[in-house]
Amino acid sequence: MKTRRDQGAAEGPLCEINTTPLIDVSLVLVVILMVASPLAFESSFGVRKGAPLAQAAVVDDVPDRVELAITGENRVEVNGRAVAVDQLAGALQPLLAADGRKRDVAVSCADLVSHGVFVRVLDIAKLNGAADIAVAEK
Amino acid sequence: MKHRQTPPAPPARINVTPIIDVALVLVIILLVTAPMMSMSQLPVDLPGAHARDTERPQFISLTMTADGQLALDDKAVGGLGEVAPRLRERLAGIPDKDRLVVVRADASLTHAAVRRLLDAAREGGAVNLGIATAQITDVKP
Repeated sequence: MKTRRDQGAAEGPLCEINTTPLIDVSLVLVVILMVASPLAFESSFGVRKGAPLAQAAVVDDVPDRVELAITGENRVEVNGRAVAVDQLAGALQPLLAADGRKRDVAVSCADLVSHGVFVRVLDIAKLNGAADIAVAEK
Repeated sequence: MKHRQTPPAPPARINVTPIIDVALVLVIILLVTAPMMSMSQLPVDLPGAHARDTERPQFISLTMTADGQLALDDKAVGGLGEVAPRLRERLAGIPDKDRLVVVRADASLTHAAVRRLLDAAREGGAVNLGIATAQITDVKP
């Protein structure tokens, strides 16, 4: 007499786990990740066209617009006061967060400064609360 | 005593349902992502940044490599003078508020080169401009 277990063994294929849907879903996930990964690691800053920086010294202590002039690879002028890029965050904080109002930043950059440094300055400005960034024309 | 009947033989047809499933899902993925993927494959070392702006999924990309090669979306552009007319052609029919052009410039380029590219993009009718960055995901010290 056949036992139940023997019968099960004879009907082998019916007892296997059906892996097709699992493979289906995992392949689709792989494709989604492949397609989405280049997008996930890229971002962008919105920039406006700005008027050339004012030549006159900034009169007000806390002006409405903060002016940044990148004059060298590690030299930035914040409203006319020179600081190193590393100290920029400290110099910008009191200006940008003065009364809880978001302020715009106008950035001008010397011709020979690398794009990497320029973006680093924009990044620091954004992280310290710049609302809008305008790139000044020459 | 009744004999147990042998189970019926499986139908000899291949089950096409999963294939159609996967194929349809792939088609949908490609349809949705195709407009986002119009990006040149030229090698560009984007400058890294922590901050990220609010993003729109659809934009027109303008790529400039370290050695000055240019591309609009995924098509090569001969020179800087060609950028504005090509961009104007590309932007035709797109409403002003959706005209986002992202400049993907190599970190080693000089700012003068990038500014010329930004100017060319504006001349070509870009209303919103973006500067592409590589997302830095580590925690700030």
